[in-house]
Amino acid sequence: MKYYIGLDGGSTYLKAALIRGNEVVETEVRSTGIDNNGTAQKMVEGFCQRHGFSARDIGCIFATGYSRKVLDVADDDISEITAHAYGVRLTAPKGYRPGMIIDIGGQDSKIIYLDRDYAVKNFSMNDKCAAGTGKFMEVIAQILETTIDQVGPLSLESKSPCDINSTCVVFAQSEVISLVARRYDRRDILCGMHQSMAKRIVKMMKKNEKEGDILMTGGGALNIGLHAAFEEELMRDVYVAGWPQFNGAIGAALIASGRGDRHRVQAGLGL
Amino acid sequence: MMGTGRKTGKTGKSGIEERFASRFLAKQEKTSAKYLRRVEELGEMPEALAPFLDTLRRVYVDMALPDALRGKTLIGTYCVMAPQELVYAAGAVPVKLCSGNYTAFSVGDGNAPRDACPLVKAVEGFCETGLMPIYRDCALMAVPITCDCKKKIAGMLAARSRVFPLQVPAGRDDGDITQYVEELYRFAGILEDVTGSEISWETLASGMRQVGRAQYELSRFLAWKKARHGLMWGTHILAVMHAASYLPADVWASSMRRLNDELEAKGEGSGRPASRKRPRLMITGSPVIFPNIKVPLLIEELGGILAADETCMGERGMSDPAVVVDESFDGMMRALANRAVRPCSCPTFADNTERIYRIRQMVRDYDVQGVVYHVLRGCLVYDFEYQLVEEVLGEMGIPVIRLESDYNEEDVEQLKIRLEAFIELIKFRA
Repeated sequence: MKYYIGLDGGSTYLKAALIRGNEVVETEVRSTGIDNNGTAQKMVEGFCQRHGFSARDIGCIFATGYSRKVLDVADDDISEITAHAYGVRLTAPKGYRPGMIIDIGGQDSKIIYLDRDYAVKNFSMNDKCAAGTGKFMEVIAQILETTIDQVGPLSLESKSPCDINSTCVVFAQSEVISLVARRYDRRDILCGMHQSMAKRIVKMMKKNEKEGDILMTGGGALNIGLHAAFEEELMRDVYVAGWPQFNGAIGAALIASGRGDRHRVQAGLGL
Repeated sequence: MMGTGRKTGKTGKSGIEERFASRFLAKQEKTSAKYLRRVEELGEMPEALAPFLDTLRRVYVDMALPDALRGKTLIGTYCVMAPQELVYAAGAVPVKLCSGNYTAFSVGDGNAPRDACPLVKAVEGFCETGLMPIYRDCALMAVPITCDCKKKIAGMLAARSRVFPLQVPAGRDDGDITQYVEELYRFAGILEDVTGSEISWETLASGMRQVGRAQYELSRFLAWKKARHGLMWGTHILAVMHAASYLPADVWASSMRRLNDELEAKGEGSGRPASRKRPRLMITGSPVIFPNIKVPLLIEELGGILAADETCMGERGMSDPAVVVDESFDGMMRALANRAVRPCSCPTFADNTERIYRIRQMVRDYDVQGVVYHVLRGCLVYDFEYQLVEEVLGEMGIPVIRLESDYNEEDVEQLKIRLEAFIELIKFRA
């Protein structure tokens, strides 16, 4: 049985997923850096070494994400919308009925609507501003002297969340700074931030798309505080994908496996 | 000329103005030439497309009047609601001046509120600089009042040109038609005054015949387009329709006849850009006007084909001929009013069920698989109708994407990401 690889060249991180027989074998994430293709190539080589297979055992590699066109190591590429829609076939928890995907990425957030067969019906994106994205969370975490992985747990301890009204990352940042100066508890500030992010993203949603369940993907889904804020704002259950950060990469790998064992051009892959 | 406007009041050009003028011209030419090049780079051009592209090149790259307009009295019109037949009846030639120009937009941007639409800002920019012959040389500007922005631009243009604001009704019942007939009589009077020639039964009938020839050639073309999907690139058809803005109807019609003959001679198969795999998209919404054709170009550069165009620069303005039942002068005027108002799918009308019918029909006629809803920033009337259109298309199982854009190139990457995903979505559904 062949291996299939999906590469997701995002704005902040490069994610890779290795699948075989519709099972996720391994995932890896590295900073995108300036040499996208070089990093991607190293990740593919790493998969080969760690799992003891050679380039000939790779059926197909698909790339997605912002830098998908420069990842020469891949055989073909696919847009992130399609990749994410495919990814949930492997990452959605049991009992999830295909409906809406909320993807919180490093520098954009998107909502994808699926029909019953996981096909994309529609989507909306916010890629014109960083508000409501992972980058925004990172900036706020830095101001509050914490790390991105602590942002969620801390916010859940909040007793009276602050109101954060700014819709722009730069203004929200100054708003947070002024809240800090007024000695507000950082847990309340973080909780307020999650609520404001959730509100902003919920506004992007189409009101007439109500079928199926809601699933969170992307690095943002790792934030339990943001997840709670979504459930509160939507007043509905929100599922979290397995390997949320790798949903796009897993989707790309799955599409690669659908492409079958085409004879691969091994250009650039020094194996 | 620069300096004739309210800014200086001087007649001579200062050095600053001269340098501004040469920079404006260079920037404008560069952008327009780039978009014309991209239109050509799509390839598979019928030979008879050349005169249409030459017209756009003449107006926007050479910044000169097309030969067919030289020595003619030009009447600027801003919408399909102003009947061209009347202009021809007065011995003049209508030109459509709605603009999609980025350079003119950047000049006009400062003179209108931020939320005004880019179309009127670009018009204002061209008129203010006085550098564009086709705007400068108009004896009259007829501005149908179809939205608030058009109303205010009519007022602003009056500072430099003679302007006739054409009052468009908000409904389509008999009373509204009567009101529009009266409005057209007023328009006829102004045209007679401006041109000094009388509009008679004979000249109006001849004007209607002239426009009728263009409409006939267009109907021939549309019949081909419906019968053979993917006959031509949608962007090329767009260029054909835009060239009609700057050519007398008979000149455009004879170029169109050559195009039709070429397509007819070609027969099935050869030299068609659309393979079966290309998702067939329709564009609807705010006007798409050269050189702001980034959305249609992206659709076709990214692997789709623009199979249908429901915007007002497309076939909307010409596809419905005026039907004369009563052959008196008044009968012809009524026919013009009926034609302008009843079938029009412009959101200026309070009830615009007409547009829903039109969209449904076009989806079927052109076997459309997805719809791109183009919204120019500040174009409220079109944005208002988005939800209804989305709902209706949803019932038909046709996906739709709302793309908001402005007159600049800064949003191209974002438009690209959306269109790529939308085209993929349709490919995966098929």
